Amino acid sequence: MRAFAIGLWGAVLLQSSLSGRLDLLLNGVFHPLVALSGVALLLLAGLLLRGQEIPVPSRRQAIPKTWWLSASMALLVLAVPPNPSFSTLATNRPAELGDEAELSFVLPPAQRSLTDWVRLLRSQPDPSLYAGDPVRISGFVLPQQGEAPQLARLLVRCCLADATPVGLPMRWPAGRTPQADQWLAVQGTMAVEERNGQSRSVVKVQRITPISRPKRPLEP
Amino acid sequence: MAKLATAWAIFQGLLLEALPFLLTGVCIASLARWLAPGGAWLRQLPAHPLLGPLTGAALGFALPACECGNVPVARRLLAGGAPIGTALGFLFAAPVLNPIVLASTWAAFPNQPWLLAARPGAALLLAVLLATLLRLLPEAELLDPALLEERRLSQPLTQVGLLERRSGLVGAIGGTVQPVKVPRPPFQELLQHGSREFLDLAALLVLGCAIAATVQTLLPRSWLLAVGEAPTMSVLSLMLLAVVVSVCSSVDAFLALGFAAQVTPGALLAFLVLGPVVDLKLLGLFRVLFQPKAIALTSAAAAVAVLVLGQWVNLMLL
Repeated sequence: MRAFAIGLWGAVLLQSSLSGRLDLLLNGVFHPLVALSGVALLLLAGLLLRGQEIPVPSRRQAIPKTWWLSASMALLVLAVPPNPSFSTLATNRPAELGDEAELSFVLPPAQRSLTDWVRLLRSQPDPSLYAGDPVRISGFVLPQQGEAPQLARLLVRCCLADATPVGLPMRWPAGRTPQADQWLAVQGTMAVEERNGQSRSVVKVQRITPISRPKRPLEP
Repeated sequence: MAKLATAWAIFQGLLLEALPFLLTGVCIASLARWLAPGGAWLRQLPAHPLLGPLTGAALGFALPACECGNVPVARRLLAGGAPIGTALGFLFAAPVLNPIVLASTWAAFPNQPWLLAARPGAALLLAVLLATLLRLLPEAELLDPALLEERRLSQPLTQVGLLERRSGLVGAIGGTVQPVKVPRPPFQELLQHGSREFLDLAALLVLGCAIAATVQTLLPRSWLLAVGEAPTMSVLSLMLLAVVVSVCSSVDAFLALGFAAQVTPGALLAFLVLGPVVDLKLLGLFRVLFQPKAIALTSAAAAVAVLVLGQWVNLMLL
């Protein structure tokens, strides 16, 4: 049972690394660590299988109940891959949270990702600087209270538990409000709009292409 | 349904990120068991009320891991007969006082030098405080029964009675018994011991991650940060956030960076100091070390101390 449970956890870690599941759950920094731990646990399971079981003192249970729980959970993790709703996750977190890091360089407008745009607007918030710039971005649809849905991405430092949404206000074509969680590639131009007495940048959407969730949906 | 799927994904994220650190901790504990069988050096560590926790905290530099990794090492220290204060000083301070965590704090807040000094300083203070408080409890009320049993076997007969130890020769005179040189454990025994420890801890980690993921999905984070601007409420809300989010101490500074501008300095420090000592994920792991009463005492004392500390920082800096 011991070797089986250890091997199962090794399989969970290794399968998560090989199947690309980690791209959906963790910052890339941790991926090699998870894969390495998976290999180490599988090796350990092999060594345990080869060796002779040393009897445990009678007061301790030979196979504690917690191991069954742990092994069942490992099987469940293997069997049921994660499929989070990014909009549910993001709605639960304040959208204004974000990176304060200074931008070291700025790409040409059409090459900026959604996250690049959000960082740029945060460091240089004057909307008139960007009016008319071409925008080509992709992200998931994040509904907003009292205004049009934004296109957003999730920033992850560690794992999904600390995911922070960054979104851009969008002006969607009339009659084409997209559904929450849908992944879209959007082309348009940056415009300026007045909201609550303040001007802000908004993407005037011209072309929408539905896309599948990218292989690496999280941004570092 | 979307909430359930999201909670399941957060659970997997927390678990897959923590398991490698847990394994690292178990490997270090097993290595210590192999290099120094019997752990005679553990009993040489200072038992002084202040020097003990400080020595334990300094041991953190030998283990560059987060809080999940140091639970098995702390367990090894306690099982090997190390003074309680030293082991607890290590348990509570090491998640902050290690090179990786200090470097990540510096990387996240290079322009806030006060925080670079305040975080390790406050972590050390909190560790000494908690170690001093928990030492007041008798070992039987403090430690998990299985751990206590292992510890009794490592303690010299001058410190522990045969009935407490539940083994040995009745009639032996405690004072004259020389510590027996323990042989190096066979490789297979070492593997079995380490794997048992890993599986015990993994089960508790599963429990902690499940609680953390459920609470995070059900409790809107805006509730926690909405009160961020009032000094006392900001400290309290960030303390609650640290307990709920349960991210590991090697990356929590980057998470804190996201809301550093919106909260008071005391709240920021409270987040960075409380999270590595008490969070929902850790409460499960603590079960291999402590009795439930001691876990409750640790949580309550850490919360009060961090609240006072946060308030004091706000008083000085605001």
